[in-house]
Amino acid sequence: MRIPHTLRVGTLVIAATSFYTYVGQMVPQKEVQPPQETVIRADLTTADMAKVGREIMDSKGLCFTCHTIGKTEGPLRFPDLAGVDERAKTRVAGLSDIEYFAQTLYEPNAFVVPGFNPGMPVINKPPIGLTDQEILCVIAYLQTLGGTPTVTLQTSHHYYTAPAAPGAAPAAGAAPVQAVAPGGAPAPVGTPPTSPGTPAGAPGAPAAAPPGPAATPGAPAPAAPARGTR
Amino acid sequence: MNGAMNRKLLFILGPVTAIVMFGAVMWTVSALLNQEYKEPYRVPAAVVDTTPRAQGLATEAADAEAKAKAKPYEEVEYRRFPVVGSRVAIWAVAQLHLLFAAFVLAVPIFAFIIEVIGYKTGDQRYDHLAYEFTKLLSVSFSLTATFGAFLTFMLIALYPKFTNYLASVFSPTFLPYVLLFFAEAAFLYTYYYGWGKFHPRVHLALGLGLNLVGTAIMLIANAWVTFMMSPRGVSDQGAVLSVWDAIYNYTWMPINVHRVIANVAFGGSVAAAYAAFKFLQAETDEERAHYDWMGYIGNFVAISAFLPLPFAGYWLAKEIYAFSQTLGLTMMGGAFSWLFIIQAVLIGNLFLAANYYLWLGMGRVEGMQPLQKFIKYLLAGVALCFAIWATPRSIIATVSEIRAMGGSAHPILGYLGVMSAKNTAVNCLILTTFMSFLLYRRTGKVAIVPWAKMGHTLQLAIFAGAAFVVIFLGIYGYFVEATVRIGLSVPQVSSVLFAMVSITAIDVFLYRGASKTGEVRWGRMPVISQYVLIFIAVTFTWLMGLMGYVRSGLRQHWHVYGVIRDTSPDAFTPTLGFATQVVSATVLMFFALIGFVFWISSLHDRPDFKERSNARARERSSEVSPELAVDMPAARTQTS
Repeated sequence: MRIPHTLRVGTLVIAATSFYTYVGQMVPQKEVQPPQETVIRADLTTADMAKVGREIMDSKGLCFTCHTIGKTEGPLRFPDLAGVDERAKTRVAGLSDIEYFAQTLYEPNAFVVPGFNPGMPVINKPPIGLTDQEILCVIAYLQTLGGTPTVTLQTSHHYYTAPAAPGAAPAAGAAPVQAVAPGGAPAPVGTPPTSPGTPAGAPGAPAAAPPGPAATPGAPAPAAPARGTR
Repeated sequence: MNGAMNRKLLFILGPVTAIVMFGAVMWTVSALLNQEYKEPYRVPAAVVDTTPRAQGLATEAADAEAKAKAKPYEEVEYRRFPVVGSRVAIWAVAQLHLLFAAFVLAVPIFAFIIEVIGYKTGDQRYDHLAYEFTKLLSVSFSLTATFGAFLTFMLIALYPKFTNYLASVFSPTFLPYVLLFFAEAAFLYTYYYGWGKFHPRVHLALGLGLNLVGTAIMLIANAWVTFMMSPRGVSDQGAVLSVWDAIYNYTWMPINVHRVIANVAFGGSVAAAYAAFKFLQAETDEERAHYDWMGYIGNFVAISAFLPLPFAGYWLAKEIYAFSQTLGLTMMGGAFSWLFIIQAVLIGNLFLAANYYLWLGMGRVEGMQPLQKFIKYLLAGVALCFAIWATPRSIIATVSEIRAMGGSAHPILGYLGVMSAKNTAVNCLILTTFMSFLLYRRTGKVAIVPWAKMGHTLQLAIFAGAAFVVIFLGIYGYFVEATVRIGLSVPQVSSVLFAMVSITAIDVFLYRGASKTGEVRWGRMPVISQYVLIFIAVTFTWLMGLMGYVRSGLRQHWHVYGVIRDTSPDAFTPTLGFATQVVSATVLMFFALIGFVFWISSLHDRPDFKERSNARARERSSEVSPELAVDMPAARTQTS
């Protein structure tokens, strides 16, 4: 029986398309959700800030798209962050580690690590757009890499002037951060400022949120796990 | 005899039946009208709707009406498209619009060039070929416009707020766009219907006008699209500062160049697929020869445009990085990095298929044997480069396998997954395909210029030099810092471009007035070669769909990157698997529609209905008996 050419051509088109669809299913599958809005409580301890900072770097900050921690093999695209606090203290003359980190985040092209291309985006501007408090948390985490974190939410630096210290002491076991989905209702602990000099949250805010480092009520599910294990 | 009786009976019974039915209707109507009229029972007006429930309902209805009237206008941000959602609906419609637009913009470019060749050489075959390509345009243009309107309405309906924002930025470009569209229609239809009706130069001027206007339309539309990816000319909050800056954003010009080249490659491949389909349906050697030639030209156009396409891609990627490192890294090292492995499979297939077609094509030229021995080396080169390009840096493996490897990268193959290896592989692929082109071009010819030997040596030296530079820099890239390594792709690309241009230039003079060892026998191609052309067209289309996705998807949860955020339920970036399904569905829809275009275009050459009926009748009668067939007209006359 002779198969009509139209049928053969149709079969070829469907077969080729199906093959490419199949190839598309074979690569790792990852659904990337939009970053969640974070509301940072005014009573965070430095240790809590470091935890929050790590989470921000992993999600909204997109830091690990470029940076690594402890990579020992292969070429580096951007500086590895292992032991970065130690280097930060002496990297630029006259800048403390906190000031150096602040400069790399607010004004990244002011100093570029030798051997690397400039490429770091301004972190407090869109599309990343971290708030001043979020950046303090990131600095707290960076200080843990090779040093001891000292930064608090009341720390000021060249790019940000913190308001007066809040009256209330941090509540033990209080939730350091509460992330909400865009449009969701954040816990009433004050709105983080978006520009230098804006007060950082309401002093004496209630600390009755459920415990846990990063509760995400009503937030969309995190990125689906990559299909990498058979 | 019986037939004649039946017709007479029907002739008599028809009017009788009509009279009987008319009488029956008249009787029924008069019987109904003559009946005595009786007043129906009605409830007294005082008891109607006076219950508390009825009053309550009336008050409720009045309140609802008052509320509805007092409700202020609220701008809707998003609306939901049923079943597939708004994003997929827009995605499919936009992709279909772009595919048809690419075809409509590309075909006039090479139709015009072919017509110029025909005019210059006086060879009418080129003129006919250009006309045959242009025949595909008319219906495609209507479909492009229809999908454009469809896309606009969908954007207004599903993304009203964002569409409103884009309109606020680009409203000064709308009127020129519409006017250009009118001009495009005028040029296109005059060019098509005026074929052979004007002086050739006037007709060529129409073709040139069509291309210029088409390109201008594309430039405007590209400004809207690229602004979304790399906005400029607006404040951080999105207020318009300069419309020209918004148009001339970072990625506008690279996309313009990339799209013109890609459109030509895509249009050439689809036109070649049309020729292949017609070749398969051809019944005579003459038809086969014509469509074989048309398919060859279409494929030649496609591959010629395809070879420099990666260079335009480099430029686009460079501008994306220049605009935002974050955007660039999302593309190459983030969520979309695996997409480029799929792209490698597609481009590898394209190179393999294009080379295979060229090698098959050598068979149609007498005296191809001396060059045939090179094919196996070329195949090995193409296969090796394809394998290297499609090797990922990290491999999908189980935990135990990752432990055994000492990481997600394979200890040996992992080295092939980095950019140094991939840049080298793709440049070598281009060089190999270029070599196949050269061999095909030389098949059946012998250079007779006095400097032939020196010319061949020079060409070989340039080719070997380019290959050496590409491979050396590829290996060197493993031993230097990132800052140096990134810059190595420029000399790699430059050496390949230099080789292609200089070798072609030498070849033109080398084979001028060459003696022929055999003729090209058009139409003498194995049938599989035509399926290869169709495969190339499908792969090109799929590739365009995939790269369209990455260009648009790069913005992730932004409508306008860094300025207008997407807060719809579709703001997430889907998996690559899902994206490939949407691309496939769109490609299948496109081929169903382009099949329709081909069919309509083929109607042009179809004989008239009456002519076909007569031909069929003649065929039938000749099948019954040649004698009866001869007597049939006489028999018909007697019966009537």
